[in-house]
Amino acid sequence: MTLIMVVDDDQDLAEMLGIVLTSSGFDVDLVSRGDEVLEVFRNNPPDLVLLDVMLPGIDGIEVCRLIRKESMVPIVMLSAKGETQDIVRGLEAGADDYMQKPFRDKAELIARIRTRLRRTNSDVTGLLTIGDISIDVTAHEVHRGSTLIALTRLEFDLLVALAKEPGRVFTRDALLSEVWGYRHSTDTRLVNVHVQRLRSKIEHDAERPEIVMTVRGVGYKAGGTA
Amino acid sequence: MTGIRRRLQQSLATKVILSTVLLSLGVVWITGSALYSRLSDGIRSTSLNSSLAESRYTFFNAQYQMLISQGLKVEERKKILADIVVKASTQGINEERREVIFLKAPSTHVATISYEMSSNIIKSSSIPKELRARVQKSPVLEYAYANAIYNKGEPSESLFVGERLNIPTGGRYEMYLVFSLKNQTATINLIKNSLLLTGIALLLLIGLITWLVVRQVVKPVREAARISTQFTQGDYSQRMKIESHDEMATLAHSYNEMAASIEQQITRLEHLSRVQQRFVSDVSHELRTPLTTLRMASEVIHNQRDSFDPLIARSSELLAAQLDRFEQLLEDLLEVSRFDAEVAILEPVDFDILALIKRCVNDFEIAGGDSTPAIKINSENPTVTIKADIRRIERIMRNLLSNALDHAEGKDVVVTVVASDSDIGIGVRDYGSGLDESALIRVFDRFWRADPSRARVRGGTGLGLSIALEDARLHNGELDAWGRPGKGAHFVLTLPRIAGEPINERPIKVAPIDFHEENFYQ
Repeated sequence: MTLIMVVDDDQDLAEMLGIVLTSSGFDVDLVSRGDEVLEVFRNNPPDLVLLDVMLPGIDGIEVCRLIRKESMVPIVMLSAKGETQDIVRGLEAGADDYMQKPFRDKAELIARIRTRLRRTNSDVTGLLTIGDISIDVTAHEVHRGSTLIALTRLEFDLLVALAKEPGRVFTRDALLSEVWGYRHSTDTRLVNVHVQRLRSKIEHDAERPEIVMTVRGVGYKAGGTA
Repeated sequence: MTGIRRRLQQSLATKVILSTVLLSLGVVWITGSALYSRLSDGIRSTSLNSSLAESRYTFFNAQYQMLISQGLKVEERKKILADIVVKASTQGINEERREVIFLKAPSTHVATISYEMSSNIIKSSSIPKELRARVQKSPVLEYAYANAIYNKGEPSESLFVGERLNIPTGGRYEMYLVFSLKNQTATINLIKNSLLLTGIALLLLIGLITWLVVRQVVKPVREAARISTQFTQGDYSQRMKIESHDEMATLAHSYNEMAASIEQQITRLEHLSRVQQRFVSDVSHELRTPLTTLRMASEVIHNQRDSFDPLIARSSELLAAQLDRFEQLLEDLLEVSRFDAEVAILEPVDFDILALIKRCVNDFEIAGGDSTPAIKINSENPTVTIKADIRRIERIMRNLLSNALDHAEGKDVVVTVVASDSDIGIGVRDYGSGLDESALIRVFDRFWRADPSRARVRGGTGLGLSIALEDARLHNGELDAWGRPGKGAHFVLTLPRIAGEPINERPIKVAPIDFHEENFYQ
């Protein structure tokens, strides 16, 4: 069974999320305080974390940062504030995706969760090389030379999506649908923030990227094909 | 010239100083000229009197010498005349040298011997003709002022005094004494220059004094003006300095009191408005969490509706629908509060607006099913790329389309897109119930509805058009409405192709091209 940790201080919403997730076939662990998350997380590592931003104890963004230090588990932030800064702050702290309350419907929530859990890019196997980076899709590992680079699952998916068709320019919308599973979203902040984070891990100089390149006015492409 | 005029209009100090100096100039000029003419007249008349007295004596002496030398030889008489010339020309030690001229009077008598002579350096031609004419007629002495011309040196202004002289058996002669006015002119010039210098110095001093006095008054006025300008520009902490107990201090004091009162009021209002905006924003945020729970609960119930009693099933449908509306209302309220707090941020990206419009139209057609009127899109270009906040543009389009469909009364809706190099116009035209003049004024007002008695088809929040207007303005764009009762409405969105740039032209006019005013009133 897939275990989902739901962190929300609103008891009723947490319970409701529990009902919905359980009925969709997930196991659910409910946590209501920010400062309790890490303990529960270590004792019973979940497959995905649904994390509210406003939490007693430690706030959700800090919790997100703490989890990222120990694990690459997918994190989806839940936010009542739709303000850009909050969303960007959450994504920069390491969240893979965010959902704004109230969700459009239950199906959307489940869809997002499944996308994050799914082993993506099942159509690609073997070894991809881009610049001096080698990607072992099957083993889910990225190396520069003999050094292993730790990427979150989402960062890995993003890199593979770009690397499997080197030179092709992906619009942000295309990446949103490919990597995040959005049907048509116009929220390009997700893409921008994650590209920045990916670059900070795989580029020699994130200011002058050689692997994930920006195509001004269009989107991104994988460059430096070997 | 215009610069001086502007300075005069703008500077109180310049105006006061200039008028004081001009008036003083008048006074100094009048008194100076009066003084000058009095002094120079006095000097001239004194000198004239003494010169005339001397001339009278010299002429009398010369006539006398001629009379008593009647019997002498011509050479001796000439010698006597020469003596007279030498004596007269060297008379006086401290005075200027005089010149003496003997001239033969023009007459019928032709003499063989000429006694004409002069002190040798003066030219007899410098005697004015007019004076000679008078001397020839007059029995007494005559005088005139003229320039004496010398064989050497500069001509100088001089007094010419002349009288007739009879040389017995020698004919009629004229004798002239020429007094140089050099000394006199020098004295008068000295007086003139002194007066001129005194006058200029006086004017400068008056100007300086005025400037000092005016500065005392104008400086605090300027300071007050500067402070109130800064206050107007939003620096409410500006106050005037009180350094004395005069009228300026009173002004400063009451100004400061006024400023303090205004600052207090503004702070209070700003605080109130901040509190209110925060409240709206907080309420909207706080409502979201329970709304999320509600929606999910309602969905769980809704999914089971097949197993319910029909009444409960219908209730669950209504519950779900109203929660949707509630959420939309919440979203709109939050957006409005962001506009009110001026924290709405533009996030422009490049995108194809035609693709966006097609997607919106498609969504409406799917959502509305067969009952929805058809939406046609007219565009000359297959794609139109603009740089704008895609989320806001999509919201404007959805609001305009939803509004048009609500009022279309089943007739088609036409969306026209016209792009120029710098701007883009999007017209949404319906042929339904339309709007009258009073409605056009209020169509962008919050919670305003064209016809309160009409059923709400699409269940809009009543905030859609006002948010659309704010969204357009945020891009530096415009949103205009046109309508005639029964003839439909036309909403035109004009945007710069790059958000924030000024609008150069409006590719679509708000009065639709398919409508003619005259036809309407026939």
